[in-house]
Amino acid sequence: MNFFFFHLMPWPYLPPPREFLREHEAAWVTLSNAIYDPERGVALYDRYLDELVAAETLGLDGIVVNEHHQNAYGIMPSPNLIAAALSQRTERVRICVLGNALPLWNPPIRVAEEYAMLDALTGGRLIAGLVVGGGPEYYSYNVNPTEARGRFREAVDLVVRAWTEPGPFSFDGDWYHLPYVNPWPRPLQQPHPPVWIPGLGSPGTIDFCAERGFGYIGVAYYAPPETFGRQAARYWESVERAGRPVEPEKLGWLTTVYVGDTDEEARTEAAPHLAYFAGNLAAGFVGAGKVWMPPGYLEPEALVQFLADLRATADRHRDGRGALFETYPMVGSVETVRERLLEFVLRHRIGTVLGLLSFGSLPAGLARRSLERYAQEVVPWVRERAAATLAAGR
Amino acid sequence: MGARARRGDAGGRQVSSVTVAGRRVELARIGSGEPLLYLHGLADVHSALPPDPPTQLLHRLASSTAVVAPALPGYAGSDGLGPRADVEDHAFHLVDLLDEIGIGPVDVVGASFGGWLAAEFALRHPTRVRRLVLAAPLGLHVRDAPGVLFFGAAAPRGVGGFGEVRGVLFADPDGPVALDALPDELPRERALRWFGGLGGAAALGWRAPQLCDPKLAGRLDRIGMPTLVVWGADDRVAPVGQATAWQRGLPDARLEVIDGAGHALSLEEPDRLAELARDFLR
Repeated sequence: MNFFFFHLMPWPYLPPPREFLREHEAAWVTLSNAIYDPERGVALYDRYLDELVAAETLGLDGIVVNEHHQNAYGIMPSPNLIAAALSQRTERVRICVLGNALPLWNPPIRVAEEYAMLDALTGGRLIAGLVVGGGPEYYSYNVNPTEARGRFREAVDLVVRAWTEPGPFSFDGDWYHLPYVNPWPRPLQQPHPPVWIPGLGSPGTIDFCAERGFGYIGVAYYAPPETFGRQAARYWESVERAGRPVEPEKLGWLTTVYVGDTDEEARTEAAPHLAYFAGNLAAGFVGAGKVWMPPGYLEPEALVQFLADLRATADRHRDGRGALFETYPMVGSVETVRERLLEFVLRHRIGTVLGLLSFGSLPAGLARRSLERYAQEVVPWVRERAAATLAAGR
Repeated sequence: MGARARRGDAGGRQVSSVTVAGRRVELARIGSGEPLLYLHGLADVHSALPPDPPTQLLHRLASSTAVVAPALPGYAGSDGLGPRADVEDHAFHLVDLLDEIGIGPVDVVGASFGGWLAAEFALRHPTRVRRLVLAAPLGLHVRDAPGVLFFGAAAPRGVGGFGEVRGVLFADPDGPVALDALPDELPRERALRWFGGLGGAAALGWRAPQLCDPKLAGRLDRIGMPTLVVWGADDRVAPVGQATAWQRGLPDARLEVIDGAGHALSLEEPDRLAELARDFLR
């Protein structure tokens, strides 16, 4: 089993949700960068980098960074820069960028090039995430969302070929035409760094990953865990249909985690910061208000369903704190988180857990303590019990 | 000949679907007389076809013409034109559609997005267009009169409905016409149609710049047939400053500005628009 520390690098200085949402429609695209304080930003990058490096010291298997633009949700428009910084400060952990949003990169061979460089800088520890990019990014970059999936699929092929096919070769696709593809450097890992693709649940993405042997990472952290259960079932069916080997570490699950002294204390400590994450930072991506979900990004049926799910979530959350913890159950004491996590990973044969441990406005001290408890008391316990079961399942 | 499937008459209208170059086109026909091609806009996407009754505008136009109102590619039951389709493809599509339903040179009324396509069609296939009525057409890149960012305004809400996009489309966003077209609680079938239509608009219009053809301004002088341009003085999507650019660029054009009107002329000003169109096309 693999346990990764997943960081969004959030902006924690917005007012509490009730106040924030009175004045602002979302934390994405149109939340003015005038409220970004560059001095505070310097300190944040320092703190967040320290947290990610600490994950190695504390024994976790990997660290994950990601690409988001023009928002307070995460100040990593270029995760490759962060990965490069981390490559110099770590030695053992895998470094995953989840991931470069291919349709936003023109041409996508830039992704192949930067990942090859990162593979060298990390000494072969890179995990290359390739993503479509969230809905809001299409507004920010003015890339046509109706082209998103076509571009993504073709760009994945282009990047993998760029890594593996001796150059120069010509790429003559529907979206990308490059007369000379010949990136220097080539990646260290052979045939190429592992590719992970995150998904919110679309069967197409799941099947694609299963068929190509890519890691599928369920990242619908805003939905209750049982929605991932359906994705896991689909993934394993797809793997079997494709005649591919069962490799549990290729099925990943992103979950918010907070470990406190007791269940009650964990909930009390985490609640306002989870509410900040769910209420402020997610506003515009999910949430009860405006969502930057562009036309053509989802099929109309899926979009209508997505909006219905948001309404249902908003209704549940209006019920109070309890509902918040239905969505984020990995909040509790060491014992509670251990048991819940073990049960969930065994039930769905999850080989990789991505823990979102430093979320929303969670202060540095609380985040670090939770990370330490998680890494030192939860993970080894789960790892030991899960390893035997998952190995037996091969 | 493409396959034709006709559905029952609703509100005096004949709804059918035809196949054009392998793609399905859903269309409504209403009225009798000389044919008139109506190309809908951003706002009246679902208002011409069942289960909605025909719009007031179509009724008025149908009193003296045989209106043919196709759902534009990507809208309602009409297939999109595929990836990378541009204005050329949309113009050819209209030629093929008219051929398919057996209509020769025809008067064309286009509103909003449909007005843009009508202009691009007339520009490239002038022998197919007798006279042109453009009601708040999109498509012209006018730096001095940029509209609101429509796709941004149309980003959906988890809870809270369609107030923002009604606000940019309609002069009276909470009036009965606007609330009928885009109620906050939009029933599922109509919601599918609305979002599908946004996808149709985005397929062509989500470029740099949005909902524009940068080359159109330099080609207006090639749209030689008599043209009536109608505009709402309070249009937020395509501000009235753009109307002047159309009028100046077109060789044979008249401009009528409707005071107090917004972008959704076909829905909010059907009587005035129909009257102007009928007088012009008489």
